[in-house]
Amino acid sequence: MAEKSGSALVIGAGISGLRSAIDLAETGYHVFLVDKAPHIGGILEQLDHQFPTNRCGMCKLLPAVEPDQASQQCLRRGLFHGNIEILASAEVMDISGEAGNFCATLHQHPTLVDPNRCMGCGQCAEACPVEVKDTFNAGLSTRKAIYQPAPQALPGTHVIDLSACTHCGECVSVCPTGAIRMAAADRKKFKILVADEASSVREQLQTLMAGEGFLVDTAESGEAALEKLKSEAFHLVLLDIKMPDMEGVDVLKEALAVQPSLQVVMTTACAAVQSAVESIKAGAADYLVKPFSEDFLLPQIYRFYEESGKGRQRELSVGAVIIATGCRYFNPAEGKDIFGYGLYPDVVTHLAFERLISGTGPFGGRLVRPSDRRPVNKIAWIQCVGSRDLQTDSDFCSSICCMSAVKEAMLAREIGGGQVETVIFHMDLRVFEKPFQQYLDDAKRSGVRFQRCRVHSVACSEDGARLAIRYVDMDGAREALFDLVVLSVGQRPAEDAEKFSEMLGLELNPWGYLAPRPFSLTETSAPGVFLGGAVSGLTDINDAVIRAGAAACGASKAIHKSGGSLETVESADDGRDRDINREEPNILVILCVCGDRLKALIDMDVLLDRIQTEPAVSQCLEVDGLCSPDGWAKMLEELKDKPVNRILLATCAANAYAHRRLEIADAAGLPEAAVQIKDVFPSDWFAGGAPAKEQTPYNTGYVERCLKLAIAGLKGIHWGPAEKIPVYQSALIIGGGIAGMTAALAIAGHGFRVDLVEKAEQLGGNLNWLGRTIDGADVAERLQTTVSRVNDNSLIHVHLNSTVADIRGSVGRFQSTIGEGKNAQTGHHGAVLLATGGVEGATESYGYGKSPAVMTQKAFETARSEGRIDPAALSSVAMIQCVDCREPPRNYCSRVCCLSSLKHAMYLKEQNPDLSVYILYRDMMTPGFYETYYTQARRKGIIFFPYTPEAKPEVVVPGQNGDGASRLRIRANDPIIGQSVEIEADLLILATGITPVLPGDLMSKLRAEVDEHGFFKEADFKWRPVESLAAGVFACGLALSPRLIDESMASAEAAAMRAVRMINRQYLTAGRKIAVVRHSLCSGCQLCISACPYGAREIDPEFGRIEVNPLKCQGCGACAAICPNSATVLAEGSETEMFEMIDAAMGPV
Amino acid sequence: MLSATGSPTVYPEEKAEDLLGPLQEKLCACIQCGTCTASCRNAHLMDFTPRRLWRLVLMGQTEEIFHSKTFALCSACYYCTLRCPRGLPLTDAMNLLKQLGAKKDVAGYRPNARFYGSFLDSVRRHGRINEVEFMRRYFILMKNPAIPIKFTPLGIRLLRKKKISMLPNKRKPEYPLDQFFQRVEKLENQQ
Repeated sequence: MAEKSGSALVIGAGISGLRSAIDLAETGYHVFLVDKAPHIGGILEQLDHQFPTNRCGMCKLLPAVEPDQASQQCLRRGLFHGNIEILASAEVMDISGEAGNFCATLHQHPTLVDPNRCMGCGQCAEACPVEVKDTFNAGLSTRKAIYQPAPQALPGTHVIDLSACTHCGECVSVCPTGAIRMAAADRKKFKILVADEASSVREQLQTLMAGEGFLVDTAESGEAALEKLKSEAFHLVLLDIKMPDMEGVDVLKEALAVQPSLQVVMTTACAAVQSAVESIKAGAADYLVKPFSEDFLLPQIYRFYEESGKGRQRELSVGAVIIATGCRYFNPAEGKDIFGYGLYPDVVTHLAFERLISGTGPFGGRLVRPSDRRPVNKIAWIQCVGSRDLQTDSDFCSSICCMSAVKEAMLAREIGGGQVETVIFHMDLRVFEKPFQQYLDDAKRSGVRFQRCRVHSVACSEDGARLAIRYVDMDGAREALFDLVVLSVGQRPAEDAEKFSEMLGLELNPWGYLAPRPFSLTETSAPGVFLGGAVSGLTDINDAVIRAGAAACGASKAIHKSGGSLETVESADDGRDRDINREEPNILVILCVCGDRLKALIDMDVLLDRIQTEPAVSQCLEVDGLCSPDGWAKMLEELKDKPVNRILLATCAANAYAHRRLEIADAAGLPEAAVQIKDVFPSDWFAGGAPAKEQTPYNTGYVERCLKLAIAGLKGIHWGPAEKIPVYQSALIIGGGIAGMTAALAIAGHGFRVDLVEKAEQLGGNLNWLGRTIDGADVAERLQTTVSRVNDNSLIHVHLNSTVADIRGSVGRFQSTIGEGKNAQTGHHGAVLLATGGVEGATESYGYGKSPAVMTQKAFETARSEGRIDPAALSSVAMIQCVDCREPPRNYCSRVCCLSSLKHAMYLKEQNPDLSVYILYRDMMTPGFYETYYTQARRKGIIFFPYTPEAKPEVVVPGQNGDGASRLRIRANDPIIGQSVEIEADLLILATGITPVLPGDLMSKLRAEVDEHGFFKEADFKWRPVESLAAGVFACGLALSPRLIDESMASAEAAAMRAVRMINRQYLTAGRKIAVVRHSLCSGCQLCISACPYGAREIDPEFGRIEVNPLKCQGCGACAAICPNSATVLAEGSETEMFEMIDAAMGPV
Repeated sequence: MLSATGSPTVYPEEKAEDLLGPLQEKLCACIQCGTCTASCRNAHLMDFTPRRLWRLVLMGQTEEIFHSKTFALCSACYYCTLRCPRGLPLTDAMNLLKQLGAKKDVAGYRPNARFYGSFLDSVRRHGRINEVEFMRRYFILMKNPAIPIKFTPLGIRLLRKKKISMLPNKRKPEYPLDQFFQRVEKLENQQ
């Protein structure tokens, strides 16, 4: 019997990986989160702003219900969740087994720095003599070989870049905590064989490596090398590709036969791609070109030496695997058309631009040119660099670059105070998500200029000071000068895609991306293995988060199916629940003295005397060396059995300890909030020796003030026991379309009851009239299998011809009335999912309704599938996109219509190649790999006319104007030839888009918001895309926004995952940092009810008083700020606490 | 069915698609991005841009295409072909237009076609170029006395520098090229 396990492996800790990991961890699984990089966050670690908010918001991924599960701090700084084990700098080497029982082999890359000891002081980086380009800042600045991978990460653990480190040992000698290991003694055990015909090379390498302490042997021929390998074990062989007696590759093969674990590096004086490929295929570890310089070779040797260390391999037993390794970006220097990238320093990629304007970037957030640091006045963005370009084998769109360019242009204008001129050179503007069109309109209003064309070239201006862009507008070729040019580089598949494809037998699409199965964005051909985020094509955050949720749902179902437990082990430690609210403050102050360094600066006796006079302080404890594991352990030992109820820890670098608060709290048997950590050391403590006293007013008084401030804060905390609310362990899904059914199957797949309410007489929604997708997948067949799976599932109760008449309650406890009259039933559910779908938009434009020859896309699809369209009888068909869409009042893109038109056009053209098809469009929305259908459509001879909302096409219906014409006539303007064009058509198909049918009354009963267009309003479009701010209410499919079938299904699975997380336990534990109402002070004015963004407050009709729902409350404090009587109090941050802290900070010393 | 308002077609006996069909096939993936125009070093001399030319080809506007000298001014530098994001054979398309222009004896392309024709004719007879004969044939074909006058100053300069000779070339070609030309003609007809 195979052993089941309740844990999952998430590969890649970018946004998608984090979302999947947090979803699974919240649900109760143990998650291994692996990333090759030394930090989590992926590319988001480098981006400070995201469209369409121009803010960050990554922390919104953290649990909102039961928030105390994870450390609630900026996610870009780090993630601390009890169920997530983060394995950074690690690589998955192999995965074997089956769904429910995988075994993954991990290789941990050495960083040579002990993360338990490293304090992030940065002295090592200062001492390091090796300087390399900083990849984090996209090469705009340099860093040392020992460095902090992400500037904002906490604790700022440093790592060593082994490909650059020369092992000089400078850092080891300056590290105050002895965190860096570079033991020379072990090098003697590392045996290297140099096999080379030339004695000079052998001698040079031997001297060089032996000088570093390695054990080196040599061989002058292939035979001699093999002899030596047979007689003794070596770790590394440097083998020349041409040996006197035999081919190097043959020696390599034989050597590996003798010692399979041997690392062989091929060396050659004349590099050739073929021999390199051949040797790597034969099993060589690397391929190096002679002659070697010392600086080049030694880091390579050290890399092999460090990687060979014991304990690097680790095996994990997991139930499911999520691959979320993201994708790479196109390198413009690779292609022939390089726009001067790499030649002119002021031509940068959009990633470099993000770093350039970042506060933690190379120029501190100032908008200056990389070449001469002079202010930038004019910036150009060039779109589609390495995307939508058949010459670089990229017949795909990269989906996000249009919006990121718009965002960057807006930010540039903001930073430059509106003085910076910004131009975006684009083809189509892909604004295919719900809020993007409005964002684009905002950008146009704010003065960002858009030029529709592809840029031909970037060259240096004649005076050499600026960059000249050659492009074309309607008047012909032009040239314009810019200070900075940003290339919106496109996507390329992840480095690991091929590796995982081979390892797990996964399919790759024609461009080398891991491809999901039809009708899914996350499922693969290997059961139990799922794709998350951008690994199957670049996505924005919204999409990545949805896909991550869907992947987590798939993984969770796989683990559950194989018997993996959903239960979490409740913590036995009751200290965390101890109620210190009513206890008299009794504070223990712990002061780290850092050897004699603190005593040299302040008068310790005076300080301790003064602190002890504070009545709340019962004891002061001097400790030393908290940054060392020994010092930390000693301090924890001292905490045992201390009769205190609050602890203040005064150290240096308080941030480095923030995530260890819980350790202290557990040791003292206290809740986490009762522990505060305060930085009382000079800010430049680590900058080398004694602090500069004249710069920082650092003296005994300063430390005392710091401590008193913290003591005042500690005295005022309110920290009651967490409330536990019982949960109805079932879900209500409203809407039986594909999204509703998918969500129902996902929740029922976890063993929970689902009530699926559909107002029509059959399930299926819009899928009932859709024939095929543009990919050629059979929609009807999919619908049939889904419906029968729903009907066969005993946990899913389908209510046809029904609506939800009434609903009340909140997260965990919803009570609803399903159906009306005699058949009405009462439902009890822990979560509600709205999958109410959408319908085709109505229109009266372009002669619709005046002639049967003018029809909507849905009408055409229906007529086609019913055989009422005969393509052979038609000679000309026109289509108009964005009918009443992408302009007020329906100012959003409906996403599906461009693809539908392409699908219909290609169908017509296939059936009758003589038929002319004309598509009148504003921007063709074919994001991602759908771009290839756009190319195909053009290749088939379909003619496209762009139009603008200012100059829309005109349609003359036969019989109109009394001219007796028998066909439709459409007049449009062709901007390229600058002439008006008349199209005679037998048929005109209008793309009228999608409008939602969300039931407004239910939404207000659920206290969930509806957006201006009638779609479900997400808690946050990017970060919490399937849920409402009102906890426990979710949405999926068209109710959220227009989307394709597979996207609807992914959103359904993501929403199901969030819902399962709510109902999988019998109780939900409320957060403790929430607001409470003091009813004796409350006047019942109800200002707080409307102020609460989470709908957490309501008036209790029985007692007429304000009640706070502890599960919904996020402790934001909006209520406390608006309350005129101070009747609302926050658990951390009450008025008393704040005033006492201000007094302490301002008071006499 | 499509028409640019108010422009009759120039070759009513032949449908535009048949004439431009092979070209449309080559160009239909065009996205009108304008990289070709921005690449073109002769674009400022053309009466309209290459981008517009390709658009007209796709729309079957034969008359406007052959009334222009855009394709005639292509110097076959291949810059546009190199840069086209769709990888379209734009220079080939220009050549095809030139061939069509010559075949149809389009007014706009007539001087070019006759110039090239006279040149090749001379080469065919002598195996090498005889400048005087070449220009004489060209002037006769053009039937315009203004043209020889225009070329006179250039001719005098070349004569002075002994770049050309007024004496007719009587030498028989060592390797007659006539067969070669016949073969090419045959191949062209097969196409």
